Formats: sequence, structure tokens, C-alpha cells
Amino acid sequence: MKLEAKKNGKQLEVVLSGELNTLTAPELSLLLEKELPGIETLILNFKECDYVSSAGIRVLLSTYKILKAVKGQMMLKDVGENFKEVLENVGLDAVFDMC
Amino acid sequence: MKKELKIESYVDNLTMVLSFIRDYLKTIDCPTKIQTQIAISVEEIFVNIASYAYYPNSGIVKILIESIRNNSTLEITFIDSGRPFNPLENKDPDISIEAEERPIGGLGILMTKKAMDEVAYDFKEGKNILVLRKIIIK
Repeated sequence: MKLEAKKNGKQLEVVLSGELNTLTAPELSLLLEKELPGIETLILNFKECDYVSSAGIRVLLSTYKILKAVKGQMMLKDVGENFKEVLENVGLDAVFDMC
Repeated sequence: MKKELKIESYVDNLTMVLSFIRDYLKTIDCPTKIQTQIAISVEEIFVNIASYAYYPNSGIVKILIESIRNNSTLEITFIDSGRPFNPLENKDPDISIEAEERPIGGLGILMTKKAMDEVAYDFKEGKNILVLRKIIIK
């Protein structure tokens, strides 16, 4: 998985390329741990990533909780058909903001 | 056509497991969307076995993949000799509660059940046998 982080003041966009699975989710987790402090808006761009397993969902859910606690916002951008279905299956499609 | 893979129950072997499944899917006429649903479900089950079945040791996981019912359905069977564990027994996590309150576990099996047409478990002759079935031609 390739992760590209673009910081702009209190906004952070992470572009994911590849598959967010059990083996790659820790990479996203590490990056967010490092880059998230001080961020108010996080945009996760899924244009090049339409494979998300439960390990990925867990990272998204904990990141969502961290941001929510500091009144921040997490947005999922360019969510593909497969990922959308996964979010629906676990009841998170209406919870996560999408753009 | 039936294919079989015997692999040590290490999470890091997931890449090899998914290549085995994808190589098979390439040989049959399986839509991309279904390929992803199958790959994610296989990941969830394999990681589950790798994390719990033989913990803290490791052991062999046998994975069989076969087109059945006139090639209309794909059947994937996972067999391990670890401790008896039926992942279908656990209650599904409550996905109606506030996201902040949600437990972080249990989502993998739920995702698998939703993505597959059938998920079955049996414990026979000291072995855990978990079967996934997905209709590929409607």
C-alpha cells in the first residue's frame, strides 16, 4: 500500500493506493498516529483503494473516535463501489462523512 | 476444478493465500466485484484462524477452492486442527448504536456473512471446517 500525506494547516489529506488489509492497515495507523495531532479535518482519499477489510475499518473507526473527541472531522473521499458496500454492511455508511 | 493450498497459520502468509485465491478466480469467469468480496472474506477467515486456532503456536491451514453446482457457485473450505472454535456462534456486533460506543471487534465475521451467500461451520474428527459459498452466476 502506498500512502501520500498532504498537510495544509489544520487539514490533512491522505491518499491511499492499493489494498487496506490486515497487513497494510498498521501502516495507515502509524502514519495517522504521527500526523494527526493538531489536525481538525482529515480527508482520506480512496480513489485508488477499493479493497478495505475489517482491519482497515478498525483503523477508520478509531480515527473517527479520536477526531470526534476533539471536535474534528474525518471525511472519506471518492469511495468506490466495493468499499461503499463494506461500509453499508457494517452500518458505517451513514456515520462517516463522505465527499 | 479443485485446488488446494496447505499453509502455515501465520498472518503474514495472507499475501500467499490471496494470490492462491485470485489465481483461481482468474481461471473462472468471476466479476471483479465478486472477486473483491471473496478476497475480503477469505482474508477475514484466514486472519481469524491465524490469530486464534493454534495460538500461541502455529499449525497448518488447508484451503480448498472449487466451482460447484455447474460452476454457478464457488466454494472455499478452510480446515485446521487447532482448538475448536465456531466464529458463527458469537453474536453479531450491534451496528445500530452510536459509532463512538461501538466495539472495535467482531466486524470481520459480520462482513463475511454479508458478502457471502452461505457461511457454514462444522467440527469433525478434531478439525475446524469452515465453508464459504458464493453464487457467481445468477
